[in-house]
Amino acid sequence: MPSFTEILVAGLCLLGTFLIVLTGVGLVRFPDVFCRMHAAGKAGTLGVILVVLGATVHFAGTDQDIWMRGILAVFFQLLTSPAATHLLARAAYLCDYPLSERTAVDELRGYLPSRPDQVFNQE
Amino acid sequence: MSLFLSTVLMLCLVALLASGILCLYRMLIGPKAADRAVAFDSLAAVFICIICVFCIRWDSVLYFDAVWILMLVGFLGSAAIAKYLEKGRVF
Repeated sequence: MPSFTEILVAGLCLLGTFLIVLTGVGLVRFPDVFCRMHAAGKAGTLGVILVVLGATVHFAGTDQDIWMRGILAVFFQLLTSPAATHLLARAAYLCDYPLSERTAVDELRGYLPSRPDQVFNQE
Repeated sequence: MSLFLSTVLMLCLVALLASGILCLYRMLIGPKAADRAVAFDSLAAVFICIICVFCIRWDSVLYFDAVWILMLVGFLGSAAIAKYLEKGRVF
């Protein structure tokens, strides 16, 4: 019979892994780059946070300062992941990456100047 | 390490490897650079999770600090690629 801590660690790891798998499926199946960023930015962040918390809970009985390291890793992921995704989305929009045909509304049209002369835009 | 936890961790590892293969597939076929950057970002997340799972499996906090390094590399890589796409240069 597994202990309570083991069940907690296993649950956290399984939930985080499930979200990471959803990220991979979303990356392959979504139609344009902004939808893929949606999948990778939200589910990926929460999945990493859950798995790191699982490792932290597992070592909490044996290692004294693991809480600080784990919580700081979670905080750092929460700090950097939205910034990186936002930077990439802005750069992709400025470089005129095509939106999906099923896009209903594009609220940034007319507000951000497009830069069609970029290097990677000429493939 | 009980049989229950090691079985769950092996299952997690297989699922994480499948997710990494999906990210690599997107990185291979991704039509343009931003798709590959997004795939790289989530590949870094997959590696972080694999490191955490191995930490639990081996009962060692030795590799737990690599989580920091991978987060930093993923963020800096994405920020640099975004800056390059937007302005044509990094700095």
